[in-house]
Amino acid sequence: MSAGLNPPVTAARRRLSDRQKDLIQTFAALGSLVALVAAFSLTSGAFLSLGNGMSIGLQVTSIALLGIGATVVIIAGGIDLSVGSVLALAGVVAALCVKELGLPVPLAMLAGIGVGGVCGLVNGLVVTRLKLPPFIATLGMMLIARGLALQLTGARAVSGLGEAFGELGNGALLRLVRVGEDGFPEVLFPGIPYPVLLMAVIALAVAFGLRRSVLGRHVYAVGSNAEAARLSGVAVGRVVTLTYVLSGLLAGLTGCVLMSRLVTAQPNEGVMYELDAIASAVIGGTSLAGGVGTISGTVIGAFVIGILRNGLNMNGVSAFTQQIIIGLVILLTVWIDQLRNRR
Amino acid sequence: MLDGADDAAASGGLATGAPEGTSPLLALSGIAKEFPGVRALSGVDFDLRRGEVHAVCGENGAGKSTLMKIISGVQAPSAGRIVYKGVERRFASPLEAEAAGIAMIHQELNLVAHLTVAENIFLGREPRRGFLVDRRALRDGARACLDRLGAGIDPDTLVRDLSVAQCQLVEIAKALSLKAELLIMDEPTSSLTEQEARRLFQVIRDLKAAGAGIVYISHRLDEMREIVDRVTVLRDGRHVSTDAFAAVTLDAIVARMVGRALDEKFPERTSVPTGHVILEAAGLTRAGAFRDVSFTLRRGEILGFAGLMGAGRTEVARAIFGADPLEAGSLAIEGRSLTIRDPRDAIAAGIAYLSEDRKAQGLAVKMPVDANLTLANLGAVANRLGLIDAGRHAAAAQGFVDRLEIRTPSLGQPVRLLSGGNQQKIIIGKWLFRDAKVMLFDEPTRGIDVGAKLAIYTIMDRLAARGIGVVLISSELPEILGMTDRVAVFHRGRLVRILDTARTDQEEIMHYASGFGTA
Repeated sequence: MSAGLNPPVTAARRRLSDRQKDLIQTFAALGSLVALVAAFSLTSGAFLSLGNGMSIGLQVTSIALLGIGATVVIIAGGIDLSVGSVLALAGVVAALCVKELGLPVPLAMLAGIGVGGVCGLVNGLVVTRLKLPPFIATLGMMLIARGLALQLTGARAVSGLGEAFGELGNGALLRLVRVGEDGFPEVLFPGIPYPVLLMAVIALAVAFGLRRSVLGRHVYAVGSNAEAARLSGVAVGRVVTLTYVLSGLLAGLTGCVLMSRLVTAQPNEGVMYELDAIASAVIGGTSLAGGVGTISGTVIGAFVIGILRNGLNMNGVSAFTQQIIIGLVILLTVWIDQLRNRR
Repeated sequence: MLDGADDAAASGGLATGAPEGTSPLLALSGIAKEFPGVRALSGVDFDLRRGEVHAVCGENGAGKSTLMKIISGVQAPSAGRIVYKGVERRFASPLEAEAAGIAMIHQELNLVAHLTVAENIFLGREPRRGFLVDRRALRDGARACLDRLGAGIDPDTLVRDLSVAQCQLVEIAKALSLKAELLIMDEPTSSLTEQEARRLFQVIRDLKAAGAGIVYISHRLDEMREIVDRVTVLRDGRHVSTDAFAAVTLDAIVARMVGRALDEKFPERTSVPTGHVILEAAGLTRAGAFRDVSFTLRRGEILGFAGLMGAGRTEVARAIFGADPLEAGSLAIEGRSLTIRDPRDAIAAGIAYLSEDRKAQGLAVKMPVDANLTLANLGAVANRLGLIDAGRHAAAAQGFVDRLEIRTPSLGQPVRLLSGGNQQKIIIGKWLFRDAKVMLFDEPTRGIDVGAKLAIYTIMDRLAARGIGVVLISSELPEILGMTDRVAVFHRGRLVRILDTARTDQEEIMHYASGFGTA
C-alpha cells in the first residue's frame, strides 16, 4: 500500500473548502454592511450618531435573537415559522403574570420565556414524533400561539404594568446621568442597552456552543445527513427537538424584551417577524438545505436588515418601498450565494 | 487505428445497419478538458465502431467520467475534435446528444423517487394522446424495456419503493427506451447480481448485433471478457493504450491503470479466527424481509453474506445494527444477550454497520474529514461539559488519516470532494475510533477502483487480526472467496447454508443462492 494506489485529489484541492466559503460569505455580508453604513452616512446627516446607533442596536436585537434561533433550527434541517406568534404569546403571558397574578417582574418574564420554550418543545415533538414536516408543524403553532395570545387578552393590549416591567427593554448598563444646573438630567453616556447586551451574550454563547460542543456538532451532522447521523449513533430526534426548544426560548425572550420596551403587552406584536429571522439567517449564509450556517453571519444579516430599515427611514423612503428593497436584497444575497456554490 | 479524418461520409449510417468496422461511429481526437487549475484530460484519442463494445478503464480520477461527459454533451471539451457519424459535432447539452442518438447510463442514479417506474423511463418524452399522457402506451413501453432486461419490476411501482439494484435496472431500461445508437454505460453492473448482469450482457450482445456502439466503464474487469471487444486505458487524464480485448491480459490492464504491476487482487489473509464467539444471532425474523436467520461470528473471523438481490442480506445487517426493527430472534455479544431498539444500542454494544450507500447513509458529506471521523465517538474528545477539545479532536482524526492512509489535502476538506475509496476509509476510521467489536460491511468496495479496493481488503484483514468479527456482504463472489473464512448463503430471506470458504467455489455458492437446497 503505497502512493499511487489512490488517485490524486487535485480537482478537490483546487476548490474552496466549505470553511473558506463560509468565511467569504461572512465577509461578503460584512462588506455590504459597511457599504450600507457608508452610503447612509452620506445621504443622511443624522444617521451616524450615537443616538441613532443605539436605536439601530435596539431594532436589530429582536431580529438577531430570533435569527439565532432560526439559524440553529435551519442548520439542523428544519424551519420555524412560529416565532413571531410565540413571542407575542410569551410577552402577553409575562404581562398577565404581573398584572393578574401579581408575580414579581423577573419571575413573570421567566414564565413568559418558559411558555416560549414549551411552544418550541411542542414544535420539536410534532416534528420528531408525529413526523410532520417542520413547515406544517410550525405553521400550526404560528396560528395556535397567536390565537392563544389574542384569547388571553381579549385582543386588547395589556398596559399599566409598572416601571419595573420596562426595565429590561429600556434600561442600560453603565448609563451615566448627571443632574444639570437647570435641574434637568443630562445624559453623559447612554450606556449599553440591556437588550443589546443580552443579544451579544447569547450570540457568543450559541456560536461557541455550535462550534465547540458535542451537541453543536450533532446539529450540523443532523442537518448535513440525518440518516448518516442516526447510523452514527446521534440521537437525531433529541437534537432536532432541542433546536426548536432553543428557538422557542429565544422567541419568548424576544417577546419579553419587546413588550418591556413598550411597557405594554400587545397580542398583535411580532407579526411576520419569523420572516425577518429567516431572512437574517439566509443573508448571513445559512443554507435552507441544512448543515451549513454560522451565528456571526446571522448577526451580520440582522444588522443588514436593521440598518437598511433605519437608513431608508431616515432618508424618508416609505415603508412600502422598504419592503420592496429588503425583498430584493434577500433575493440578491441568496442568488450570489448560490452562484458561489455552483460548480 | 482509425482517426476522425474521414469527413467524407457526411451522411453517416442512417439506420442501425450491420456492423461495418470501417467508418467509426464516433471518433475523438486530441480531446482536452481543463477545469480552473486542473487538467482533467489532455490529448485523448478515442474511437468507437458500430457493433462494438469499447471498454474504458482507469482509476478514479483518470478522466473516464470527464470523457463520457464530453461525449454525452454534459461538458464541452477545451480542445479537440468530436466526429460523430462522420460529421464534426459539438453537443451543447445532453438533450442535443440524446437527439443525435447518444444515451448514457449514469453511475449515480438519476431517478425521481415519487414517480412510477414507467413515468421515470419516459420522463420528458411521455407518449401523448392530445394534451394527455397516454398511460397505456407509457406502461406498455416501459414493460417492454424492463422485460428485455428480465427485470421483473412492475412499471407502476414508485421508484422510492425500489432497491438500489432495481433502480439501476430502471436506469438501463430508460437508456434502452431511447433506442440510442451510441450507449455509454458507467458501472452498469455495480449493484446487480450475477444473474442480472448476465441478462444485461445478453441485451448488450443484442444491441451489438443491431449495430449500436457501446462505451463500457466498469471496475469489474473480469466480467468484461463476456462482452468487450476493445479496451482503452486512461491514466491521469492521458490515453495509455487501446487494444483488442482478447490481446491483453487483465493483469496487464490493471498494471497500465495504476502505472505499475499489481501482484494481487486480494491480500494474504493474516488473521486466524479463534474459537471465541463474539456475535451470536438466533432466529432473526422480520416479516417480508428475512426469516429465522441464525449464525455465529467468531473473533478474528470474516464471515461472508452471499446471495442474490433481495435475498435479505442487507436487511439482516441493518436489523442487527438497529437501523430497522427486528420482530423476533435474539442477539448476543460475547455471551451477553442484547436488546437493540435503535443504532445507539448497537453502537454501545460494539456493533458497527458500514452502509452500502456511503453518501446517503454513511457520511455527513458537507462536513469535513475530521468531523466525520469523530462523529460516532465525540464523547471521547470532549470534556465533561460536552465541549470538544480541539487538540484531541485533531489528533484523533489525524491518527486515523495516517493509519488508514486517507488521501485528503487537509482535515478540513469536506468529504464529498474525496474519492470513493477514501470516503470508505473515513467510515471505517469512524468505527475504529468507536472501538467496534463487530463490523458489518455492506458492499464495501462498490464503485471503488482497483487500488483502493486492495487497501480496503488489507484493512479488513487487519481488523480481523485485531480480533474484530467482520461480516462482509458482497455480490462479487471473487471478493467473498478471496476474503472470507466462511460464507453464509442467503436465498429469499433465509440463510440457506453456511459454507467453509476454503472448501467451496462460485458454483456451489450460486447453487444455494439460486434456491437449490432449500426445502
